[in-house]
Amino acid sequence: MTPVIEAQTLSKWFGEVIAVNNLSLSIGSGVTGLLGPNGAGKTTFIKLALGLYGPSRGRLRVLGQTPRNNLGVLRRIGYCPEADKFYENMTGYEFVYWMNRFWGMMPAEARKKAEQACEIVKMSHRMDDVVSEYSKGMRQRIKVAQALATDPELLFLDEPMSGLDPEGREELFALIRKLGEEGRTVIFSTHILYEVERVTNTVVLLHNGCVLAEGDVHQIRDLIDEHPHAVTIACSEPHRMAAYFIDNPATLNIEFSDGRVTVRTSDPNGFYKTLNRVILDERIEVASVTCPDDNLQSVFNYLVK
Amino acid sequence: MSETSLRPPVPYTRYLNSTFSHASLMMLRRRRIVLAAVLSLSPLVIPLALAFLSEAAFSEDGNLIFVRLVEWLYLKAIAPLLALFFGCMLIGEDVELQTIPYLLTRPLPRSALVLGRFMAYLSISSTILVVSIAMVFAACTSVGNLSFSPETIELMAHYCAVAVLALLGYGAFAMFLGATTKHPIIFGILFTFGWQRIALYIPGMVDFITVEKYLMALLPKLATERENVVIRTALGEFQKQQLLIAGPKALAGLLIISGLFLGGTCLIVRWREYSAARAVAG
Repeated sequence: MTPVIEAQTLSKWFGEVIAVNNLSLSIGSGVTGLLGPNGAGKTTFIKLALGLYGPSRGRLRVLGQTPRNNLGVLRRIGYCPEADKFYENMTGYEFVYWMNRFWGMMPAEARKKAEQACEIVKMSHRMDDVVSEYSKGMRQRIKVAQALATDPELLFLDEPMSGLDPEGREELFALIRKLGEEGRTVIFSTHILYEVERVTNTVVLLHNGCVLAEGDVHQIRDLIDEHPHAVTIACSEPHRMAAYFIDNPATLNIEFSDGRVTVRTSDPNGFYKTLNRVILDERIEVASVTCPDDNLQSVFNYLVK
Repeated sequence: MSETSLRPPVPYTRYLNSTFSHASLMMLRRRRIVLAAVLSLSPLVIPLALAFLSEAAFSEDGNLIFVRLVEWLYLKAIAPLLALFFGCMLIGEDVELQTIPYLLTRPLPRSALVLGRFMAYLSISSTILVVSIAMVFAACTSVGNLSFSPETIELMAHYCAVAVLALLGYGAFAMFLGATTKHPIIFGILFTFGWQRIALYIPGMVDFITVEKYLMALLPKLATERENVVIRTALGEFQKQQLLIAGPKALAGLLIISGLFLGGTCLIVRWREYSAARAVAG
């Protein structure tokens, strides 16, 4: 089966900055998460696939064709950009309507499809309000609506969860899953592993413009769990708190700083069980528990090494 | 394969219509349109003031006032300013506001985007300018020595046509600047009020690289000769005699210049990687 997106030794540089570096990958139908920290090359890769940029080197094919200035490919694509930019003096409905008109729809069809798209993203009740009056989440929904309105085969969602409230996220997770089940190809970028896990098993890990890993998201999760995990606890008695972890063989390191204790452990699940017990039984007052390492950066660093 | 990919091709005129309608709507909703109308109507004050100040010391010829206002104010200042006001933003604003990816990720021919928007600009700014010139003409009739006769109405129509051509030439240039540079207004002002003024004083054929040269050649013949500011040299005079441009040639020159700038804008929009600078910054 022909891949929907196929890149071979694809590179893109802007002056001296290399955004995508010798990237080779193949993406099939269904939902794929593009995962990577800021500056990993996710957005540049999406813009290359949309034909907004031409490759500096290498080859890229989308739906079997080169995407740069290819209106035939664009006709089959939907795109929700990361940037929170709109024609601010338009209503949400008008925005989607005009995007439909630019797609080539007649006015009556553009109106109908705009209404339907606003309904899908649950914006029907506010679609006649001016975009500048929307919250970040509402703006995000309208961006998704304009991408969906043309019924695309291939949908690019660049950081689509950004700014959405928990309910909105759940709705969007469900929508992406549904689109995937319908046989469409959805490619969405994020820097949060949890978001990928909620909608798909397929993930492409990007770092510094290169593919670091691709495949099953659960393997990435296992890697994170295996990797030393740091937890910072701000509490009234950091030294007393540390005493409960110091003898644990999974504890690799303990540091103190300004009313906080940071514990580095190789067994996060065991650590959290102990922490819960200490908080409940020993009555140590805890102000916050943060996990500076509970993000992809540590895994990226680990993989890069 | 989804329903969308099985649809018949969309006619070009539909894209043109959508970009024209969208750009017209956007222009009419801007506060800038009020400012443009005020700017265009501001010369109206002069004939009205002269009509009220009807003392002999201030008596003026209505015909002369009208001609001066159109030639000095409308064609040399207001039309270029309107063109810069609106022309630069036709593509430039989408680049600045980062809304251009929405347009460039639609199956919208780039030429339809450029031409549709340009037509919207031309129709709206022409309406403003033509209505203003007509009102100034009407006001000048109250001063004296100008009436609504077929000859004078023809004179006014002639000036209106030249004003529309000015919007065409300057607008195409401004649109090109908006698509290519970060500061189109600055470059536009430098060209219009800097280069064009300087070029008039330079002997030889330098003034052919202006829009004003062609516009001036299209003006109606007047009883009195227009002031010529160029520093006369034997070579310059010879060259100009050889390359004198009459109305039809001037019109063709203006249309070619406009066409070149519009074509250039289409190519720029097609090939430029608009968010590349931001990608580097990010």
